[in-house]
Amino acid sequence: MKRIIIDREKCDGCLNCNIACISAHQEGSNFYTVDLQDPDAQARNFIKYDPQKGYLPLFCRHCDQAECVLSCISGALEKDPLTGHVQYDENKCAACYMCVMNCPYGVLKPDNKSRTKLIKCDFCDDKPDDPSCVKACPKKAIAVKEVSL
Amino acid sequence: MKIVIIGASAAGISAAKTIKASEPDTEVVIIAKEDRVHSRCMLHKFLGHQRDAQGISFIADDFFESSGISWLNNTTVIGLDAQNKTVKTHDNQDISYDKLLIASGASYFIPPIPGLRESKNVYGFRDLKDAQLLDRECNTAKDAVVIGAGLVGMDAAVALLERGLKVTVIEMTAAVMSLQLDQKSADAYQQLFEEHGAAFILADKVVSVDVDAVGRGRTIHLASGKAVAADLIVIAAGVRPAFNFTEGSGIATNHAILVGDDLKTNIDDIYAAGDVTGMAGIWPNAMKQGRIAAINMLGEKLLYQDRYALKNTINFFGLTTLSLGNINPQPEEKCQILIREDRNNYQKLVIKNGVVEGVIFQGNIGGSGFWQYLIKNKIDLSAKNKDLFSLSYADFYDQDPATGEYRYAV
Ligand code: SF4
Ligand code: SF4
Repeated sequence: MKRIIIDREKCDGCLNCNIACISAHQEGSNFYTVDLQDPDAQARNFIKYDPQKGYLPLFCRHCDQAECVLSCISGALEKDPLTGHVQYDENKCAACYMCVMNCPYGVLKPDNKSRTKLIKCDFCDDKPDDPSCVKACPKKAIAVKEVSL
Repeated sequence: MKIVIIGASAAGISAAKTIKASEPDTEVVIIAKEDRVHSRCMLHKFLGHQRDAQGISFIADDFFESSGISWLNNTTVIGLDAQNKTVKTHDNQDISYDKLLIASGASYFIPPIPGLRESKNVYGFRDLKDAQLLDRECNTAKDAVVIGAGLVGMDAAVALLERGLKVTVIEMTAAVMSLQLDQKSADAYQQLFEEHGAAFILADKVVSVDVDAVGRGRTIHLASGKAVAADLIVIAAGVRPAFNFTEGSGIATNHAILVGDDLKTNIDDIYAAGDVTGMAGIWPNAMKQGRIAAINMLGEKLLYQDRYALKNTINFFGLTTLSLGNINPQPEEKCQILIREDRNNYQKLVIKNGVVEGVIFQGNIGGSGFWQYLIKNKIDLSAKNKDLFSLSYADFYDQDPATGEYRYAV
């Protein structure tokens, strides 16, 4: 399956991946028109800074044994048998947030506006080629690789 | 090989899925007393009329056909013959198995309070059947009483409010959801429920129920002397593992079916998972147990080690809370308590000797999943030299270079 491999040494903390993610999930927007004040403008990835180790961009791992899938009470989170990616179906979701609690890497979050949905990386599987974050990274700190499990 | 699974909730379904995913040729039969597969955690959405029965299913519509699983619904198992390896159903079928998984769950419990068990309008809130019966009552009832302000009671209350009933919640302890919350975070929910029309009677106990001429409980009397009128009563005072049918089979029980770490009972070829083992706690644990039992039934070896069950998330009226571990420590435990709050958030960390023992995050719970790992693995954070509230998985990040899977560097 395809995964986003992280090379933290290369990350400059520019947040391009963050904004690209928000834009990818905001209908019709691009890097320049994306409305970051919209309460729905939540990125599916995040960057943390550590004074010793520098920047670290983090993304949903689309884990092999995904704890979020295993904890979902509604069947809204499922691993796609073809891509191996963990996909989310908003219509099934009951907004219980068991998955937020059970993702060991803290990448899931409730939506800010209504607390009725989940903010979850979809690997931009509905778009051609690489995920938007990877395409937006000027430093190539993140790259898509085919990994075998 | 033929595997029979009793029960079609989290543990049973996750076991069936696991079996079919790794050995599609294994015959799988699921026997369930329910009419259809549904998620207990979404019953309030059904009762509140936000979703229909199909809408609270947690499997794909064609799950049984597409995975080739035989599905015996509306079927109650009444006996188990471990010698001949058969289970007997209420309609007198003897179903043979090579391996059996008992995932029959738990049933609600009506305390022996005079008048309560006898009342015809007392319902649990445990499965779709309960919700359907309550649904019918809601068409005419005006006053609803919920006994127990735990998560199940609050779920029922929220649905009954949604249906326009006048709801009174009666609770023995001094706060709502006292297993998951501290006073402050509980007060926030109580206030929200009150704003939506609910009334609470806390730190009080039901002592008797007056039953009318047609057998319906009408007046609920409390230890304080108060009396509450009821058209319908929901009992949410806890559950008991359901395993009547194992009587005489030789399976070892102690208020629950006893299993080892491999989820096998004392009898070879019989496994148990989920609430019937008394150690599931919550949905994700039951799912995991189902999966692990399935793997062991297929002859591999995997142990159930992730027993940590002191965890929950709550979402009522858009107020979300994460609760993990020891959240109300006793003074003699000498824990350090850190609180951080603003107008939308209340956050509490309970710490002992550098190890976080408990967490309450009310308000924003985004990205909080890593706390569970820190608590259940008792990770010592004293060396981190950091504001603990600012921790994230990034502070423990490690990546498997070959697969890119994340790991914990601790
Ligand atoms: S949300 Fe968390 S648990 Fe689920 S696949 Fe992504 S990283 Fe893994
Ligand atoms: S919040 Fe939605 S996706 Fe997450 S566990 Fe609950 S139902 Fe599943």
